[in-house]
Amino acid sequence: MSRVENRLRQALLEAVDTGLQQILGDSGRKATFFHLQRMYSLTREDIPNNPAVFASGLEKIFGVGASVIEESIVKNLYSKLGINYEKKKGARFVDYLQDIIGRK
Amino acid sequence: MQAMYKISLGLASGLALFYAFQGFYPDFMSFFSNAFPPFIAGAAVVSSSFALQKYGRNLRERFSLVWLSFTLGMALWFLGEVCWAVYTLLLGVEIPYPSIADVFWLSGYVPMFIALFLYVKTFGSVLSRRMVGTAMVIVFVLSVLVSATLITPIVGAEEDLVTMFADFAYPLLDLALLSAAILGLAVFSKGSLGKSWLLINAGIMSDVVADILFSYTTAQETYYNGHPLELLFHWGYILFLLAFYVHTKEL
Repeated sequence: MSRVENRLRQALLEAVDTGLQQILGDSGRKATFFHLQRMYSLTREDIPNNPAVFASGLEKIFGVGASVIEESIVKNLYSKLGINYEKKKGARFVDYLQDIIGRK
Repeated sequence: MQAMYKISLGLASGLALFYAFQGFYPDFMSFFSNAFPPFIAGAAVVSSSFALQKYGRNLRERFSLVWLSFTLGMALWFLGEVCWAVYTLLLGVEIPYPSIADVFWLSGYVPMFIALFLYVKTFGSVLSRRMVGTAMVIVFVLSVLVSATLITPIVGAEEDLVTMFADFAYPLLDLALLSAAILGLAVFSKGSLGKSWLLINAGIMSDVVADILFSYTTAQETYYNGHPLELLFHWGYILFLLAFYVHTKEL
């Protein structure tokens, strides 16, 4: 894994933690990870490899409310990487990640 | 979780049968009508306390405050039920209306509304103007219907101002809760948390109908201990209890 990939992966994991915590608090964050692991065998560390599964899992739990959590995560990720966040109409979690990968 | 659904359904059906055949045990029914509510309300407090224990580790976080407020609201409603039981079973006096029990019940609406409002506000950005507008129209229409249903019997009963306030306050406060709960259901309906929000909405609707009937029957002086409308209050607590339990299982 290259240094850039490693940095991106670490930043995403931290952004997921912060984003979930801002919306659901620490207990809610842990509960979300627990349910993602139970339902999709997706651990926190697997999220960078399976962002689509993560996004789909959030939607299965929170319905349309998942996009609030996704936006919080994406904002944190952009901030960590020093990129200006601009909301794009119709863009979802995975689209933003691809946008970041395209820039690096 | 299936077991909990079955237990709740069994309890709700059992209560319905128990009320249906009350003609065979009228004295016990009168006792049951006063003694049972603290138990079912207490069970709802326990259920919300488990949720608070799970999500409420840090009270500076909004999500923790949501569950503290739910638990506080349920605890105040529980105290209302206890007061009613103490008046009727321990003191053996006819309970005044409004009474100290009403103070607890009415105060319980404040934390309940805060809980629903904070929860929905957290996810509010996904709500379209159309969703909010539809919810407001539903609640407005229901408020008009409730007021229209109650105004003639309550005003006609020539009650004092405080009693009239209480008669209108309960169903209208229920509708205030419903206004936030409908939005919560709109946000989460497509996710597993939607089950919990559906149960919360059903619990509030049960209370709306129960409170309208209670205000109507007290104004008409046709309410008695063991009146079938009490079933709706009991079912309301069962639905809240189940909603909190389901929430802890789905998140």
